[in-house]
Amino acid sequence: MRKFAIVCLTLALGLVLAAGAQAAETIKLAVMEPLSGNFKDIGDRYAEGVKFAAEVINAKGGINGQKLEVILVDSELNPAVATRKATKLIMQDNVRHFCGGTGSSVAGAMEALGDKHNTLFFTYGMAAASLTGDKCNRNFFRTCASTDMQSYALATWVAQQGFKKVFCIAQDYSFGKEATAAFIKKLKELNPSVEIVGEVLHPLGTKDFAPYVSQIISSGAEVVFTSNWGNDLTLLLKQARPLGLKAKFAGYYLNDDLMVKAVADDEAVIGSVSAEIYMLSIPGQANADFIAGFTQANGFYPTWLRGKAYAATMFWAEAVKKAGNDKVDDVIKAWEGLTYDGPAGKWTMRACDHQVQQPVWIAEMVADNPYFKHAYVGPATMVAPEKISVPCQETGCKGFAK
Amino acid sequence: MKTLRPRTLALVGGALLVLLAAPKLLPVYQLRLVTEAIIFALYAVSYNLLLGYAGLLSFGHAMFFGVGAFATAVALNHIAGLSLLSAMGLALLTTLLVGLTVGFLLLRVKGTPFSLLTLAFNALFLAIGVKWHTVTGGDDGLSLSAPKLHLGLGVLDPSNGPDIYYLTLVILGGALLFCWRFTRTAMGHSVLLLRENEERMRFLGYNTNVTRLILFVFTGVLAGLAGSFYTLLNAFVSLDAVSIDMTTKVLLMTYLGGTAAFLGPVLGAFFYTYVQDYLSNLTDNWPLIMGLIFIVMVLFAPGGLSGLGKDLAARLKRATTAD
Repeated sequence: MRKFAIVCLTLALGLVLAAGAQAAETIKLAVMEPLSGNFKDIGDRYAEGVKFAAEVINAKGGINGQKLEVILVDSELNPAVATRKATKLIMQDNVRHFCGGTGSSVAGAMEALGDKHNTLFFTYGMAAASLTGDKCNRNFFRTCASTDMQSYALATWVAQQGFKKVFCIAQDYSFGKEATAAFIKKLKELNPSVEIVGEVLHPLGTKDFAPYVSQIISSGAEVVFTSNWGNDLTLLLKQARPLGLKAKFAGYYLNDDLMVKAVADDEAVIGSVSAEIYMLSIPGQANADFIAGFTQANGFYPTWLRGKAYAATMFWAEAVKKAGNDKVDDVIKAWEGLTYDGPAGKWTMRACDHQVQQPVWIAEMVADNPYFKHAYVGPATMVAPEKISVPCQETGCKGFAK
Repeated sequence: MKTLRPRTLALVGGALLVLLAAPKLLPVYQLRLVTEAIIFALYAVSYNLLLGYAGLLSFGHAMFFGVGAFATAVALNHIAGLSLLSAMGLALLTTLLVGLTVGFLLLRVKGTPFSLLTLAFNALFLAIGVKWHTVTGGDDGLSLSAPKLHLGLGVLDPSNGPDIYYLTLVILGGALLFCWRFTRTAMGHSVLLLRENEERMRFLGYNTNVTRLILFVFTGVLAGLAGSFYTLLNAFVSLDAVSIDMTTKVLLMTYLGGTAAFLGPVLGAFFYTYVQDYLSNLTDNWPLIMGLIFIVMVLFAPGGLSGLGKDLAARLKRATTAD
């Protein structure tokens, strides 16, 4: 018995030492995503992007000579769960860097943790403008467009096309409301003569869009703005055409290949446009290289979320590289004002609110595309960062406390 | 007090010493787990006063926990310069009012209707949490920075692990002791009577409705206190605190620990916190295993962990006396 205990103790000690030794060598990045449940496909795709970025970084010798270790954490899209798991990683495994793309509720929890333990969190998918607005936080960075920027890009396109009658439909919660308000604000600014012929907020998870579609048809709208995602977008597109809607959609998330597949009716999406910070059809060598590398490693395209998460992780790695170490305070300082030229164009991290300034790309959905048999994005055109930027003093961010 | 034997005294003293020295002995994360377990211990004990002592099966205990948790965050976020203790006081007052209102409406129902109505009220409070976005933050939850607590001797910072541990230990430990005393008072005994034979109690001249209301409000306020500490520990509160999940959690803890003994739910809370921590390391499907443990316990050890402990003690005693 005594011997057994000694063996156990030695083993445990060895393990602890081994873990400690490993900790010194790697930089740890924890990915907080829903990896189970309803939003698993979203979380999985983000995670694939981050993992590929780590592969690329490690193949080139890591960051500052240290290997990057990606830890996947199932946030269950529940802030309490995220807090519990992240706290453990912080306290027990000394993880200091976190990222995630799903659920602004998780972001709130991670911001609270960031304040408490001085950890860094960056998001490549949470769009709520308030996260870098009135809720802005020193330890929180956003490498994707806010609702303001994405809506501004779509408004720019609608104004350029000269549409006169616009209808807005969105999900009835903070994200849908924010997106619609920003779109209307920018559109009115660019073209005061545009008429908003209707504005509808429908409950999340609506099954029957017929009443809304007939409302759109009778309004005589030429184009329909929607920030819908997931099933609410699939069903809206699927039901609109058979009911006789001819107007095109200008939407946030039309370049989701899984969604297009689920609609299973190419005619329903062709001609509509999507605005995103990453899509496969962005021109340039950097994107071509990324797509080639990713496809070779995984056997499928780095569509949408994968690309967003990849570019974000590479950008963060640049900041760590510039800092020369992975200490949170140093990385924050290094990231502020840093520019990264990646697959989706030139990104600059603004110091005043930690909101990246970046182009948003617009593409029309076309039948003939090199990627899929079904309809997907055509050539992407850039809306320059200056056109969609929200000035520092208008974001609601009153500076960082520390 | 004459019932306290030297051995019990030594045991209690030893336990106190260990608890006081915990921040020196445990790594930070373990200390946090203990703090969380103490919070849930009070939550579970308050629940057991309803379930085990009064025989009232409530499916709505999370509404008190959640109201306490949210009231603390809202008070600290909106009232500038509010001290920590006043914020907690406000939270307790809010749960008291909620308890009185809901309790008054539930006064006359017993058994299944009582259980279902508490479930309905829990759902109502969850809906308020979701919809009243300006106050509760809706799905986003609320973060807060808790003010430091200035005591005569020094300053306690709730964002510091050992500080929040001692604060929890003293205040919630005190609340637990108070609960234990309560079960030994005349009021505590009348609660037992309520469970055993309410009709007889009425014949004896008790107003059982008032007894039930007092108990309901009392346990609610205790749960609210636990909720308040839950918010402080996390510096964040989300709808999780008022969700049906939180009710199921306390039900699990209480049953796992055993409803027959005062310390049962305390045991259950510690067991749940640690097993959850351990299991979630192994698999993301830990609720499945937790559910299986629950089923096995209910089927084969309905007395819970404390029941198992008692059985074991009795067996040992028999074995030693047989010799």
